[in-house]
Amino acid sequence: MMGNTVEPTPLTLLCPIKNGAVDEQSYASLTREYLQSLENHDRSPMAAVPNTFLCRFFILNDVFYEGSPAKEDHLQSKYLVFCCNFHGDTETYLRGFWQHAENAIRKIWRYCVAFEEVNDADSFVAYINKCTLKTTYYFNGSTGLPLAEQLKALYLKQEFSQFASDTQGHTPEQLRAAFRHFVARTQPDNLAEPTWRPGQNFLN
Amino acid sequence: MNSHYIDLDDIQGNIVKAYGRFGYPVARYIFFQFHDMDAGRAFIRSLLPLITTSRPWFATTQLPPATTNIAFTYQGLKQLGLPTKSLHSFPEEFSMGMKARGEILGDDNESSPEHWDPVWRNDKRVNMFMSINGQNPAALEARYQEIQDLLKVHTGKVEQLRGHRGEQGDEMEYQDAAAVCIDGQITAKEHFGYTDAISDPYFKGSGSNPANLIGGGKPTRQDPATEEGWEPLETGEFILGYRDETQELPIAPVPRLLSYNGTFMVYRKLHENVGSFNRYIEQVGKDFPGGPEALVAKMSGRWRNGAPTVLFPTQAEADAFIAELEKAREATKTATTAVAKANALAHFNTLRKRLTGFNFNQDIGGTRCPMGSHIRRTNPRGCLEYGVTNAYSTPGALDNRRRLLRRGLPYGKVVDRMLDDGEHGIIFMAIGTSIERQFEFVQQQWINYGNDFKLANQKDPLLGNHDGHGDFMIEGSSPENPPFFCARLPRFVTTRGGEYFFIPSLTAIRMIADNLIDPT
Repeated sequence: MMGNTVEPTPLTLLCPIKNGAVDEQSYASLTREYLQSLENHDRSPMAAVPNTFLCRFFILNDVFYEGSPAKEDHLQSKYLVFCCNFHGDTETYLRGFWQHAENAIRKIWRYCVAFEEVNDADSFVAYINKCTLKTTYYFNGSTGLPLAEQLKALYLKQEFSQFASDTQGHTPEQLRAAFRHFVARTQPDNLAEPTWRPGQNFLN
Repeated sequence: MNSHYIDLDDIQGNIVKAYGRFGYPVARYIFFQFHDMDAGRAFIRSLLPLITTSRPWFATTQLPPATTNIAFTYQGLKQLGLPTKSLHSFPEEFSMGMKARGEILGDDNESSPEHWDPVWRNDKRVNMFMSINGQNPAALEARYQEIQDLLKVHTGKVEQLRGHRGEQGDEMEYQDAAAVCIDGQITAKEHFGYTDAISDPYFKGSGSNPANLIGGGKPTRQDPATEEGWEPLETGEFILGYRDETQELPIAPVPRLLSYNGTFMVYRKLHENVGSFNRYIEQVGKDFPGGPEALVAKMSGRWRNGAPTVLFPTQAEADAFIAELEKAREATKTATTAVAKANALAHFNTLRKRLTGFNFNQDIGGTRCPMGSHIRRTNPRGCLEYGVTNAYSTPGALDNRRRLLRRGLPYGKVVDRMLDDGEHGIIFMAIGTSIERQFEFVQQQWINYGNDFKLANQKDPLLGNHDGHGDFMIEGSSPENPPFFCARLPRFVTTRGGEYFFIPSLTAIRMIADNLIDPT
């Protein structure tokens, strides 16, 4: 197990969306509509992407005008913005992203400029590298440990709290027996199960 | 994107581009009540593919046979389950609704809500507005039937409200509206006989014909007959999410995606008492120098044919100008070569500027266009400085924020021009980002009051809520031509219904339908 001083890796992308429309609905609007149709939490397609700690997609319509005397400025395009924290190096993460969420990627990025050049993991990594914004200040909600370890830790913490509550007032013998049962049931060394599912936000 | 870019694909139609200018002479206005939140959401989701946007039409082949647009009352948004925080972020006049603002609007006596069409009688019933505009009656009917098919799915849960007074009775299921036809020709006339909808605000990003800048923009101190005399208004006066005339973003409901590319609309059914109008004009006009037609022109500030009295003080001049303009318009259609067409168009546009390329600084005393006339009140064209140079930092300081995008059409037919009875008038629709600052102010201060025009409590002669006692003063020009007082003005226009609506963007409609509005 790694030390828990590992930092998560941040990634911020700004991908320009083409200025066009299908019928009368703009590409940016279609992209937003698709993103808004996605499920959240453990049913999100991002839950299948290994080692994703948290992520967010949004559409940047324009830069915000702050009122006079600020200069009014506008973007040339609308942008698909993706912000993410994950474990490990960026290339491994992106390859896992493509491998486990290719369908979602193709739908989310389909109206972005030059995305037609993306057809496999290599071209996806190359594309994302071009759209990456250097990120130095980001929302950091966890350590950088692998996701499986963090999910197991969260699971154990929740289960142990329940155990402490359930066994309040037990004799030492009862407590030892209950704890043996707790360890057997929760398998602290087994990262695969039982544990939380990626994206899970409440106890079963 | 240039700094005038606005998201036309996301803004509903008839805001940026006025359908009336593209040949949609017939319309139906339909009102709905949601009895079930999920059914309401599903219904508006099903309408989405039919909603017309503001995307420009460059060629007649791009024009759909019929258009469809929707808007919501405060009660409607509540019925659709908008979060409380979002509901509370709407302006007070919108959440109160038109009836509750009656005192401000002057909807008293015969204009008060107990006399309105039955559809407006019960509080909180009207949740959604829909407009269908058609290139012809068949296209209108076809789209209406499409809507009926979508509505059938939600029988008992989404109700189309009856109760519009029409020629066939009080229980019409929609409000019919149509351009007035004279001798088989579609016209821009309303039932008093005035050519209507000549001036419309010109704002940044609208993509409207640049010729409309003259008289449509905000005034500079240059010659109003030239492009230098006007600048485009800021987009945020008419569409939320863009810079307005204060150089800030307009105050708007939250979250931003709910209000961005949206706006507010005032809907009013205004009955025109044509009998009272014609009798008054005949009786009072016979004593007026110039006769009844001159009186008609003085009340409006335009002759019935549309020519402004500031530039065309006599009927002969007005008639000659309009004849020349029509001839020039005809020439644009009959030109056979590209060069001839371009020349004809240039000539027409040059002439057309004289319909709107003026202000009242040329007529400070009101001897051509009376101070209290309709167009001078409702669109002061930067002349509230009263000739005091540089009284304000900009000549439009007192009126740039009171501009209204006017949409809508006449309804009904005049059967007997000496009778008020019957169903005929104007469906008045005004669009802007603040109903209170724009429409309500104009209605309260400029139509039903006269102080800003140094006219004490005189009202707009045509639209004021007269009670038979008020006056309208027509300024004179010399001791030989003294002021003329039109006394005992009856009410020529009566309110028959109306409400305040929010016109969401396409994105916001989709998010309301999918219950995705989250202001947190």
